[in-house]
Amino acid sequence: MLAAAAIHVPAIRYLAIMPVIVLLGGAILLLAFQSLLRGPMRLRMATVATVAISLAAFGLAWWQWADVEAHGPYTTIAHAVVTDGFSVLVTVLVSAVMALSAMVAEGYLAREGIEGGELHVLALVSASGAVLMAQANDLVIVFLGLEILSIALYVLSAYNHRRAESGEAGLKYFVLGGFSTAIFVYGIALTYGATGTTNLTQLADFLSRNVLIHDGLLLAGMALLLVGFAFKVAAVPFHMWTPDVYQGAPSPITGFMAAVAKAGGFAAFLRVFVSSFGVLRADWRPIIYVLAIVTLVVGAALAVVQRDIKRMLAYSSVNHAGFVLLGLQAASAVGVSSALYYLFAYGFMVVGSSAVVTVIGRHGDRDHDIAAYRGLARRQPLLALCFAVLLLAQAGVPFTTGFLAKLQVVVASVDGRSVPLAVVAMASAALAAFFYLRVTVLMYGPGPDAAPAPVGPGDPPLAVARRTRLNAALLLELAPVAVADQPQRAALAERVPVPALAAVAVGICVLVTVVLGVFPAPLVDFAHRATLLFVP
Amino acid sequence: MLHAAYLMALFPLAGFVVLVLAGRRLGDPWAGWVGTAAVSASFVVACLSLGSLWGEPATARHFVENYYTWIAVGHLQVHVGVLVDPLSMTMCMFVTGVSALIHLYSIGYMRRDSEFSKFFIYMNLFVFSMVVLVLSDNLLVTFVGWEGVGVCSYFLIAYWHERPTAASAGKKAFVYNRIGDAGFLIAMFLIFSKLKTLDMVTIFAHRASLGPDATTAAVLLLLLAATGKSAQIPLFNWLPDAMEGPTPVSALIHAATMVTAGVYLLCRMNPLLANSPDAMWVIAVIGGVTAFVAATIATSQQDIKKVLAFSTVSQIGYMTLAAGTGAYVAAIFLMVAHAFYKALLFLGAGSVIHGLHDEQDIKRMGGLARVLPWTYATFLVAWLAIAGIPPLSGFWAKGDVLDNAFRKSPALWALGVLTAVLTAYYMTRLFVVTFRGEARWATQRGGSHEPPHECPWVMRLPLVVLAVLAFAGGILGLPWVHRAGLGSWLGPVFGPALYDAREGAGLQVVLAVVDALAAVIGLGVAAWAWRAEVDRPTLEPQFLQRVWYWDDAYDALVGRPGQALARVASVVVESRIIDGAVNGVAEAVRASAAGVRRLQTGYVRNYALGITLGLAAVVAFVVSRVWWS
Amino acid sequence: MAQYLPIFALLVLGVLFGALSFLASGLLAPRKKPTAAKLAPYECGIVPDREPPARFPVRFYLVAMIFIIFDIEIVFLYPFAVVFRQLHTFALVEVLVFAAVVLVSFLYLVSNGALSWGPGKWLRVGLPARTSESTIARVSVPPPPGRAA
Repeated sequence: MLAAAAIHVPAIRYLAIMPVIVLLGGAILLLAFQSLLRGPMRLRMATVATVAISLAAFGLAWWQWADVEAHGPYTTIAHAVVTDGFSVLVTVLVSAVMALSAMVAEGYLAREGIEGGELHVLALVSASGAVLMAQANDLVIVFLGLEILSIALYVLSAYNHRRAESGEAGLKYFVLGGFSTAIFVYGIALTYGATGTTNLTQLADFLSRNVLIHDGLLLAGMALLLVGFAFKVAAVPFHMWTPDVYQGAPSPITGFMAAVAKAGGFAAFLRVFVSSFGVLRADWRPIIYVLAIVTLVVGAALAVVQRDIKRMLAYSSVNHAGFVLLGLQAASAVGVSSALYYLFAYGFMVVGSSAVVTVIGRHGDRDHDIAAYRGLARRQPLLALCFAVLLLAQAGVPFTTGFLAKLQVVVASVDGRSVPLAVVAMASAALAAFFYLRVTVLMYGPGPDAAPAPVGPGDPPLAVARRTRLNAALLLELAPVAVADQPQRAALAERVPVPALAAVAVGICVLVTVVLGVFPAPLVDFAHRATLLFVP
Repeated sequence: MLHAAYLMALFPLAGFVVLVLAGRRLGDPWAGWVGTAAVSASFVVACLSLGSLWGEPATARHFVENYYTWIAVGHLQVHVGVLVDPLSMTMCMFVTGVSALIHLYSIGYMRRDSEFSKFFIYMNLFVFSMVVLVLSDNLLVTFVGWEGVGVCSYFLIAYWHERPTAASAGKKAFVYNRIGDAGFLIAMFLIFSKLKTLDMVTIFAHRASLGPDATTAAVLLLLLAATGKSAQIPLFNWLPDAMEGPTPVSALIHAATMVTAGVYLLCRMNPLLANSPDAMWVIAVIGGVTAFVAATIATSQQDIKKVLAFSTVSQIGYMTLAAGTGAYVAAIFLMVAHAFYKALLFLGAGSVIHGLHDEQDIKRMGGLARVLPWTYATFLVAWLAIAGIPPLSGFWAKGDVLDNAFRKSPALWALGVLTAVLTAYYMTRLFVVTFRGEARWATQRGGSHEPPHECPWVMRLPLVVLAVLAFAGGILGLPWVHRAGLGSWLGPVFGPALYDAREGAGLQVVLAVVDALAAVIGLGVAAWAWRAEVDRPTLEPQFLQRVWYWDDAYDALVGRPGQALARVASVVVESRIIDGAVNGVAEAVRASAAGVRRLQTGYVRNYALGITLGLAAVVAFVVSRVWWS
Repeated sequence: MAQYLPIFALLVLGVLFGALSFLASGLLAPRKKPTAAKLAPYECGIVPDREPPARFPVRFYLVAMIFIIFDIEIVFLYPFAVVFRQLHTFALVEVLVFAAVVLVSFLYLVSNGALSWGPGKWLRVGLPARTSESTIARVSVPPPPGRAA
């Protein structure tokens, strides 16, 4: 019976899927090559290959961009895959982040004495999943991309098997990821049950042609999909894996995960909800509204009390996710482009930050207490400056991309008549500025070997100074740092070696953040044209 | 060439970048040459642009070009672009030209300074900011330049920051300028809220829809900004303190260029001024009063640079007066002439200070004519120019201002003439006490003092060039060739807004004679009074030496209450309320975070429970929508 | 509304099951917290002088996983075999690509020695100074600080 049915081989426009093929094929070739070598692969070789593959995907994305500019967005492979400005921009971001992360990872692996290029292979696979998610025009393809992205990330989180935390992170991420994926798949099933299609375009078409007022099945499916996505992008209360996984994962992977997983997750999130469920926006916007508020507030508040820089970055990434949710909540073309712009800016900031964290982590990837950043500006002024710029950019200081990104999502939110949400976002940005400044202040303060200045009780200026210091201590929880034991202080006072490639990666990130912050015109323009294929 | 106008800003910026990156390595004197070359290139571009603009017909000398969109948020579209017209080009010409000369001079003056390259870094950044300020076609970008020159001024005043006086003078300048900047900002807000644009051309086109009250308010706020930057009453007393900076800085920033930015702003915004006659009266009165007050103070100062500083305040007062009468051409004419002779005076003073090894008290100078012949000769030209002796540039420029003031209000004119007398008086005093008489520097310090030395050629060359310009600068605006000179060149910029008092040749000649007489009287009185004696307390009353007790008044009215308030603020508000609030917020965050933190147990089952509860909440919401529909 | 009844019922049942499980374990589980010694290996008070050996070599897992790879390949190949005539060359190429990918993963496993059945590593002799206290301390070691935040 099957044999009798005519089967049409769908037409394929290869340019559309070329970046995915290059990333995935490159990963497989790299793996094959590595298997055929007698000994373990040289790190430099794996890195160069990975960067080359990423840059190839990057170049292809630009080609796609020219194509989209010339011929407009299109779908291919039976409308399962879409190429539009939006997907191209995500591809550009993911491939750039991939190249940068590979450069950071090389120094990390060399320092930790881990041989072989598996990390690069897995990261490439993960990146291809993110690209696929951005290009997916079918819930099944979204799922496929999600799994390709996630499974590689589970392994990557557990990659440093000499650290117990790394294994713990991988396991936690895997179990919870599996749990959320199940919810997501259930959502696909219910949506299919309600509409008879998994194709996003047809879904939107169906919803606009049929008046399904409050169809329970459809809404339940949508809710489950929402939860699945919310887990991937770490929105509160689906964020709880984030701090543990970010802290446990190898530091370069933390940045990669924050940039790529978020980009991929949000790309599909935006496309599915704004484009396909656009008709139902009255039903999902309130949910995102509440999610965004909780995410913004909890992310910022918990980041403030962290002492571990990676956990802090994790909570700050939760806070950033809240900002991107603002763009989603606006449910408009402006909202989508602002969210995308945010992801773009955040991607470079977080990869650069995690590169610095990687370097500061020293051998064993364990010096992540913020005490390690004391007086960094004295020891390594350039590194401290770069980190300060990246942190301030995350805080949203003007003349950086971070500021423009925050501005744009807030404007989109206000345009979407969610003024209270925008107010909460700005308040949380102020709160969040706290912990970025805290690290910056630490870096530019005295070194760990500096003895605390003697304080006379009666002397007014000193008393003021002491009070200020105590306030600072109270606010910043610095008191424990001050009593750190002597040998540890001595160890922290040494300069950390900065691998050349990591330095280049940090430099690129800082450059992108600052230059595009000062001259935003090209990127703003870019993001405005990077719209979804279809927005109702 | 007009399309390359941005190069005027780009060259100093490039110089700045090169010096930041490699200044230390280039060192003394190559860093200085790099800086000078950058600014000179900018001057060449300015000349070429001027030539192109000149080639256009008079009505078409208006050229706007946008390079890129800096900010695009809703209505706020900020383009970075240039507005090239005779006004901005005139400014650019003398800004870059004088800057190039002063850069050259600084190579000699700053010789063997421990941070030689740093000086030129700031100077190049300053020229860049100034060109941005002048060329911008958008208020916000102008403001960027405005702040840029302010910051450079701060850096350069406090250049010798180890000296407490220099550091505090820098701070003072900064604070006074901030007050003015606040005016600028509020004016921008006001204009934007009414017109939804900051683009100058658009503002001028739609100025009618601003309404009379808002126009007056905006102009007065811009005037506040101008009083800060251009050191006018009530914000003038930062400028004398700013003399703590190196002398080339005083010459460039605090005499020739930056301090005239306020007047330039008023001229630039002339269509707005034209719509508000009341505000123009305020401007004219402030200008006239400042000119007079500063001139009186200048008669009693001992520090050579402070005399020149108050003289600068006074001269800018004239320019403001001219702007207030609508005689923008006269304002610009005086601005250009003043740039020449005041820069020359400062450079001459610098040469004296240099020669006497950092001596600034004119009472310890005297008899320098013999040992510093070049300085003496050029200073002589500048002295006669500023005193208003015909046929030097000062006479024509000041005469132009006073003619227009006479038409506006004879009272202001009288004040102006009185100021002219005082100007001739204090400049003559300065000149005579410094260069004539006995050589007090030789006796004051015992025999060990080595004799003054004439400066090197890099310093002499700018002196000579400026002396020529100060002498002949009047050509730009001679009354009888007015229609062919600066007047016809700048006239179209201001159009009907320009107040032109040139009618009745007879009256004009009378006024000119009065001006010349005023100069001669002031000169004669001073030459007679200071011919021998240098200590004449009756001619230097405490009241004038202490700047009309202006600083003391500020101290009593603002400073002390401010300090008291600050004490209250620091003890009560800050420690109790603000610290309390901040600590309270921090505590609240910590406490609530601690609560949420407890949920973060580290157990996967709890995390899964969190996801499940979240899912339950989302589904419950969806179900509620199904049920309630 | 009726069509959703099964889903709702499933939901209720699911919640009930979870709740009952918790309830049951709460009722049935021993009340006392286990002591440290109780959590020690063998629970008998005798300190092992070697690391407790693994139950069986991990290699078995690897073999099982390798099997899964081929399992999936087979699952994919069967439907392909049924329709490959209709799908012509395209499908053939696709399947070859798929097979190549599977082959690369197999290659990787082989290169990592997943199929080399040499003698396992000798059991590591326990640390010399092991006492019952140290054993207990090791087992009931508190989580490192800063983890639970």
